[in-house]
Amino acid sequence: MTTLEGGGRRPVVTPAEDAGPAERPRLAARRQPGTRGQWGRFAAILVFTVIALIPIYVTLFLSVRPGTFSSSTSIFTLENFTTVFADTGVLTWLSNSLGVTLATVLISVVVAAPAGYVLSRARSRAVSGYSLLLFIVQSLPIITAIVPLFVLFAKLGLADNLIGIVIVYVGSTMSVATWMMAAYFDSIPRALEEAAWMDGCSVFGSFLRIVLRNSLPGVLSTAIFAFLLAWNDYLVALVFLKSSNVFTLPVGLQSFFQQNATDWGPVMAVSVVMLLPPAIVFAVLNRYFSVGGIGGSLAGR
Amino acid sequence: MSSASPATGIRRALSGVGAAGPGRPPRQTGSKRPSRGALTMLVLVAPSVILLVLINGYPLLYAASQSLHKGSLIITGDFVGVRNYTDVLTRPAFWNAARFTLVFTLVGVFGSWLVGMGLALLLRTRIPAGGIFKVLLMLPWVIPIVVSSTAWNWLVATPDSPIPRLARSLGFGELLFLADPTLAMITVCVFKVWVSFPFMMLMTSAALASVDQNVYEAADMDGATRWQTFTRVTLPMISRSTYISWILMTIFCVNDFPTIFLLTGGGPVDATSSLVILAYRTVFQDFQTGPGVAIAFIMTLALVVISTILFRQIRKGETA
Repeated sequence: MTTLEGGGRRPVVTPAEDAGPAERPRLAARRQPGTRGQWGRFAAILVFTVIALIPIYVTLFLSVRPGTFSSSTSIFTLENFTTVFADTGVLTWLSNSLGVTLATVLISVVVAAPAGYVLSRARSRAVSGYSLLLFIVQSLPIITAIVPLFVLFAKLGLADNLIGIVIVYVGSTMSVATWMMAAYFDSIPRALEEAAWMDGCSVFGSFLRIVLRNSLPGVLSTAIFAFLLAWNDYLVALVFLKSSNVFTLPVGLQSFFQQNATDWGPVMAVSVVMLLPPAIVFAVLNRYFSVGGIGGSLAGR
Repeated sequence: MSSASPATGIRRALSGVGAAGPGRPPRQTGSKRPSRGALTMLVLVAPSVILLVLINGYPLLYAASQSLHKGSLIITGDFVGVRNYTDVLTRPAFWNAARFTLVFTLVGVFGSWLVGMGLALLLRTRIPAGGIFKVLLMLPWVIPIVVSSTAWNWLVATPDSPIPRLARSLGFGELLFLADPTLAMITVCVFKVWVSFPFMMLMTSAALASVDQNVYEAADMDGATRWQTFTRVTLPMISRSTYISWILMTIFCVNDFPTIFLLTGGGPVDATSSLVILAYRTVFQDFQTGPGVAIAFIMTLALVVISTILFRQIRKGETA
């Protein structure tokens, strides 16, 4: 499974399971649906995957084909990449995107981790109220927040500024990031902390040295979520960034589309630059890629 | 196993309990600890509260006030009460957008759910290279929409693009995927399903993994057919997770901007203009801040109503 597997996260307990009688373990008799029809299922998945990924092959394929204005006649060329890096703002946009994304990831984790700890450990009316508030905020369309923020940031000189969009991104990650951290902290036994308190450790000390130190998977899944939200965002960047030297890659790429004919080679080269980081992060860390992470990443867009 | 963090969050919010995880020892009564940590807890949660108020709370109140005023992006004009709302509600463009949002959301939620669940069912059992498929099939969700919409544009945008050419050679005639209103609506919805099915696949896979295998065995012994097993055993057992994934996908679809905007820009002639697109255009292209924000608020209200109805369903499931 590609979901987060660290520690004893609570499984989704379905009602039927709750009500079910305590069965005896019957491992030997467990039905193994697998061998029968295995190749049929394989073929079905294979065909589906091959068709579903056509837009991705198209991107990869066109990025290494000579562009409209190219004199090259070869089948494979890296010309598009050299052109976009040499002649356009792609390098600037790439470093803007990377900077904004890394800042968002760092700040989100630093702010959400302690909040998640409070959500996980403290039990009071105020805390559950806060949790409900987080959910409401999460379901609000970002478009309602963007107009006032734009007005406010324009006054503060933060519109058309990378710091401004980092603030918006961090704000949009907050709900899901806090829940993700809280859910992970739930899996870390309290007894560990209680022992530390006995030894005179403060609450903050135990949070830092015991809970957080054992929460790398939780931190990673929160970080992946924030990464995808910031890297893939289009709407916030579109509204806030107006000058090409502060563009992030998504708005930068859009500036390639001309009125008449689009030169697809360079466009696809930039696309490849843009899809590689999330694809690599996902391929390497996919076991930390929790449902919550991807869930929230779209909610922010 | 992951329990879907938003789901956890929703359950927290629903149950009104901070975080009473099963298997956690109950807090000792009479312990001195709570008061000892209270200040620390406050300090720990403070940065997130401040951010939430600044980035989400303040804009919400400001927007609420803007929706009651005349004026542009920069200058807030006279107070007009609910006139922006009544004005918006009488525009045909609003109802067109509302209708498209409904279609887009229904197709987006159930289309991606059907595809995602089908894949999750196929991938549940051991098949060759199953792990590789699971990673590859997540790509439509993981890569930026800007990238995938670019590729889709190349595939369908003009009459000379590959897919229209293919349709022509198969005898379907001249299909203008993004220029014909009906076809553009279909194309945008299909694109949304393409982007979203991995999420549903992941949610359903997680839910299926938590179903006790013995139940299937029992169904097998009772002579249930495959279809009966699916409808009477599998679906009810994953119902809670299904409702949660529907709620989340509804939120994603209603709030979705880039999927539509990047493919069609809301056109042709507003055929694919959803409420978010309409709100965006009203504010940033027509410079009517009040009506634009009013549209967004009406949309939010609808979303809250739908979420509440689905939440009720979950609760019913829990008490049953």
